[in-house]
Amino acid sequence: MTRLLRWFSQSAEFVAAILMAAMFFTFILQITIRYTARLEWLAEAVPLLDPSRYGWTLEFCLVMWVWIVFLGNSFIVRERDHVTFDILYSVASPGLRKWFAIISGVAIAFGLLMSLEPTWQKFFVLRLKKTATLSNLFGDWVRMRDIYSVYAIFLIVVPLRYAWRVWRVYRHGADADLHHYDDLGGNSGSVEHGSGR
Amino acid sequence: MTLEFFLCLVTLFFLAGIGTPVAYSILLAAFVYLAVGGQGIGIAGKVLMDGLYQSFILLAVPLFIVAANIMNAGTISDRLLNFCIALVGRFKGGLGHVNVVASLIFSGMSGSAVADAAGIGKIIIEMMVKSGHYTRGYAAAITAASATIGPIIPPSIPMVLYALVSNASIGYLFLGGIIPGLMMGAVLMTMNVYISHRRGFGTEEPVPIRELPALTLRAFPALLMPAILLYGIYGGVTTPTEAAAVAAFYALILAAFFYRALSIGALYDILVESARSSAAVGLVIGGALILNYVVASENIPASMASLLVNLNVSPLAFLIGVNILLLLLGCVLDATTIILVIIPLFLPSCEKLGIDFVHFGVVAVVNCMIGLITPPYGILLFVINAVTRIPLGEIIREIWPFLSVLIVALLALILIPDIVLFLPRMFGYAG
Repeated sequence: MTRLLRWFSQSAEFVAAILMAAMFFTFILQITIRYTARLEWLAEAVPLLDPSRYGWTLEFCLVMWVWIVFLGNSFIVRERDHVTFDILYSVASPGLRKWFAIISGVAIAFGLLMSLEPTWQKFFVLRLKKTATLSNLFGDWVRMRDIYSVYAIFLIVVPLRYAWRVWRVYRHGADADLHHYDDLGGNSGSVEHGSGR
Repeated sequence: MTLEFFLCLVTLFFLAGIGTPVAYSILLAAFVYLAVGGQGIGIAGKVLMDGLYQSFILLAVPLFIVAANIMNAGTISDRLLNFCIALVGRFKGGLGHVNVVASLIFSGMSGSAVADAAGIGKIIIEMMVKSGHYTRGYAAAITAASATIGPIIPPSIPMVLYALVSNASIGYLFLGGIIPGLMMGAVLMTMNVYISHRRGFGTEEPVPIRELPALTLRAFPALLMPAILLYGIYGGVTTPTEAAAVAAFYALILAAFFYRALSIGALYDILVESARSSAAVGLVIGGALILNYVVASENIPASMASLLVNLNVSPLAFLIGVNILLLLLGCVLDATTIILVIIPLFLPSCEKLGIDFVHFGVVAVVNCMIGLITPPYGILLFVINAVTRIPLGEIIREIWPFLSVLIVALLALILIPDIVLFLPRMFGYAG
């Protein structure tokens, strides 16, 4: 079971890294094409560099961004990676803290699951709406709802994760320190919360 | 206040208060608002997705995070540090100055205060403590204080977030941050000189001048980064968002090929870690988009604006009041939350009172960065405490002088808008 979980989380990390890299290099491609577009002879000589082929780059980056956010929060963001207000949490007694964690976990799981059906209803009309530019890249079948569907995945997976967390906290108690700043000491190469805070 | 909005606030404060991630607290509070108001909770997801999917400017956030992580992983920060030591290490309080100057240069690349503190800050604290001239609390305190400059000098993730909520030009915001950032560096260095003299800190062995050219040359490609970035944006070569991609790409090329300090495995870790941070921040941004929708449908910013106008509050009094409030909030809230959630409340008032959005934005970001080092809840203090094991109490004891000069600098920015607006106007800003 643990091996399966580890394999799963490593695969999720792999997907996230691919999305991130795709977004990054698409951006670079977009900038490059904008400049090669000025050289008309280049597009004629190398058809691959024809700027009319690359109308999709910006929207593709937006898709990557949205998918990174919601797949990321579903599968790779750990509890400690979140922005939290932890002043009360960290001074509370272990018993109280346990209930804090249980209440917030139950609230998240319940709330997000409740919103799944109404949200999908809202997205219903998007099943017809075409994307602005992505048909060139993915083919004509792609609709806005396909892109937004990642939010539905998020609404299903996050409640499951929090249900699991509630169960664990109920059995073993809650962590004292939500943020684990200590981890920064070990891997100064990769910075958590690199959000400019 | 309507009942649904009251319940929304109660839910928000309760959940956030017990340690629920801020993003989820907002999301659930919005559900409560929509459900009680009879609007159907599906709207929240629609608002959130539309908001994230339509804001091109937000793409800069993950890209700057990638850039910062690459800079920290390669040897780029070491080279910059050696250059700074050769440059300003010879003066009284030398390593303190090195600290500030390194932050000034490094901030031109990372755009994140936490990245600065955990990366280059950690190395420099070790050097300061090892030199034996400084107490470890002092080393940590000046590092924390100088890391606040990071997001003031472009590139800056907090300013991207402000641009998102205010629609101010990100280019002019970046320009507006340059002089205030340098000014903050100057006041910190002045404080450092004063304290070093008073407490008689020793001076480091100066690096011989003849070694300076070689060290400069070694650091030169990295020093070029801020220049490339600024030229890209103001030369009209790239949009600010694309500049973020260029910055990350340049850092990648430098670290991988030029300095040969980045393996494929390390790059993979950077991508995963960047995706993780971007996702966490992205969710808060999404939450803020929903909350701003709720606040706007309650018409709160506008009614606050007309109230203030009716009360004849002067723009200066308003600015000072808002800044005091932000400083107090900064003691307990995190900068992302303040910029995305609290700041939008004041923007219509600014407009009515004739306060410039770029001026207000830079002042607000500086304020939020000061909030990162105000006890009891300063994230930079925690990060430094974690990466160096220097007790929080020692850091806090030494932080006060730096905190107070930064607040004086903030006051100057409030009172004299030209400090902020001089550069943007030179580049054609009409405000």
